[in-house]
Amino acid sequence: MNSGFLPHHPLASIPIVNLREDIVITGWGCVSPLGGDAASTWTALVSGQEARGPITAIPVDGCRVTHGAEAALPALDWIFKKEVSRLSRASRLALPAAREAMADAGILDPSGQSRFSRLEMSLSTTACGMEFGEAFLRGLWSSNPRHQTARMSRYPAQQQISDLQQHLGFTGPSMIVSNACASGANAIGHAGDLIRGGFADIVLTGGFEALCELVFCGFDALQAMDPEVCRPFDLHRRGLMLGEGAAFLVMESAAHAAKRGATVKGRLVGYGHTTDQFHITQPDPSGLPLATAIRIALDRSGLAPSDIGYINAHGTGTPFNDGTEVAAFASVFAPDIHDLAISSTKAAIGHTLGAAGALEAVFCLKSLETGYLPPQINTTNPVPELLGRLAKPGNRLTKKAVLSVNLGFGGSNAAVIFTPA
Amino acid sequence: MKNPLSILSVGVSSPGGATSNALSDTSSWPSQPVKEVIPGRGVRDVSIIDLSAEPVNRWRLRPRLRRASPLSHHLIEAVAQTLEARPEIDPARVGIVGAFFLGCLVYSVKFYKGLTTDGRRFASPVLFPETVANTPLSHVVAELGIGGPVYSQVGDTSCWISAIRTASVWLQNGDVDHVIVAGAEEFDVHELDGFHSVRWFDEAFPFLLAEGAGAILLGHENKTSIARITSIADGYSFRTRPQSRQAASDCMATFAPHLPVAETATSWITPFAAEATADRPSISIHCGPKVEAFTASCAWNTISAARLIENQTLSSIVVPAWGLSQQIGALALA
Repeated sequence: MNSGFLPHHPLASIPIVNLREDIVITGWGCVSPLGGDAASTWTALVSGQEARGPITAIPVDGCRVTHGAEAALPALDWIFKKEVSRLSRASRLALPAAREAMADAGILDPSGQSRFSRLEMSLSTTACGMEFGEAFLRGLWSSNPRHQTARMSRYPAQQQISDLQQHLGFTGPSMIVSNACASGANAIGHAGDLIRGGFADIVLTGGFEALCELVFCGFDALQAMDPEVCRPFDLHRRGLMLGEGAAFLVMESAAHAAKRGATVKGRLVGYGHTTDQFHITQPDPSGLPLATAIRIALDRSGLAPSDIGYINAHGTGTPFNDGTEVAAFASVFAPDIHDLAISSTKAAIGHTLGAAGALEAVFCLKSLETGYLPPQINTTNPVPELLGRLAKPGNRLTKKAVLSVNLGFGGSNAAVIFTPA
Repeated sequence: MKNPLSILSVGVSSPGGATSNALSDTSSWPSQPVKEVIPGRGVRDVSIIDLSAEPVNRWRLRPRLRRASPLSHHLIEAVAQTLEARPEIDPARVGIVGAFFLGCLVYSVKFYKGLTTDGRRFASPVLFPETVANTPLSHVVAELGIGGPVYSQVGDTSCWISAIRTASVWLQNGDVDHVIVAGAEEFDVHELDGFHSVRWFDEAFPFLLAEGAGAILLGHENKTSIARITSIADGYSFRTRPQSRQAASDCMATFAPHLPVAETATSWITPFAAEATADRPSISIHCGPKVEAFTASCAWNTISAARLIENQTLSSIVVPAWGLSQQIGALALA
């Protein structure tokens, strides 16, 4: 039996079961700094637009960098205004994205509520409703502290779960994985694992992330943000651009989708994740742990590296991250790397942390659906290893599979592979 | 779940000590009165771990842990014990799922306090990475050489059940042959004001707020196991306190009616828990005051229940995780 791992990997001798369960995607939706839904985001993305601008949603006075990619909050006209005013920014982003995905998959009834009373969720975030936690602390430390029940109760990550369940009309098991910036890909991969193992037939999966003062100041303190423009894979890259957004997929077993007559829009065929032990904020520069995650995903998909036509790279634009990724890509895809197109969409929408993997999954699926690739913007002096490989405006997908990779603080690496319907 | 999971070893880091024996009687746990931040508010008894005492001080000089949060120290002690008890298991072939409610609270508050008082430009680049939710587990993995998949899951107390379900998925799919599930929390004084604000301190249902960690090493069915997890009920969610009543009832209804249930509820959900379990034998799994350390408490409750099964005091028991803000879940052990 196929082990699912490389021969040298410590887990190589463990037999993988349920290796090829057909896991399909029947709907998706997103909110990003480029648009309030998947269609508008995609149109702006493939035309090479970027969302960089001054940050106004949170206080950033005094930071070294005061620009980023802020999303316009969509109107939630199906929710009472008073309730909308109580929602965290993360929920304001997550709700419309999840609703779009569910509508796309045909699992919303005419009143906008879920057709399934129990619907499992596999989600990701890193900062949840952090602005409420920040406000609570500021209130405590102020000269006139007072009860701030609403703010405190809406801070934890599980509050967004409650908001999704209440306003989209379902209940059921839910998990939030918080593996830093790899979380989004982990949530999607875990949804696939749940279906593969028969734990669920259908899962709403995705990620959400709102800009907040604590995280913005954290990246500013690390001097990890480029003060001018985010240039992934550029010789002169200086850092990332923070962004925000949310994206969701409706994922189900092929049998479940067929039974309810759903339209299949794409397939999740491979998932791999590893943890490197190199450093808390820097990936292993050899790229080997990331390469292993990619190889696990390829092995599970039954695809060869030469089957991959496009990589949506993590591509934060930091010296360490991009160098590691280049090493990993060279390790896995050489000598086929010259047939690959690569881009990092973070130059356009910013690094959305816990939502990044989910947003980038939607972009991969849109590439498979339309045949077009998101171009690499802002990179004028590409690293030599990727010379000619960065996607340009108008480039088309020429192969049957696309790969999305994410890396995170703490050494998290994740890779997911999608194929068309 | 299709196949039971075996609990092969356990690990504990608690204010009462770093063995599972410390869980049997909480009346001997150290406690100290701590004032809420807002002047004139309540004083609460809190039980915290002395990180300078043996055996938990063995991690203080490890490179990754010198500047790490108390949470990381609690976590690594509990996880290390699970591996030390099973030296035949190679950590490189083990996965780990961490369950956290409050997460890296101490450093998050410290970092935010710094940037609000000193100015955003002077925010600490050393503290910020320690505020990230998966940092404690990352330290543990690096120090102990754990080589399998790693997830940090966040949620309320019931996140412990969700984490065990993730382990079950990995084991059943054959992704790994052993998984450690760990719950860990750290105390920070600001949480007193937070819990006061959301009305979790109910004089009718007092509890001792604590910190620490618990961990269990899970594998496939094994004759040398301490106990088996035979079923998992996860995802009985609620938004309001009245809704939790139905969620509690629905969750308990998934287990056979004769199964005894461990008394694990604290705070406002206690009467709803009592109502949902009224027709079952109720088992007190430890003496002394009720302790609340959220995901760590859930781990301790599971470990205590597993020990009762190991020493044949019980043949089976349901161990609920009464989430206070999201959902209710439970495990059946046999």
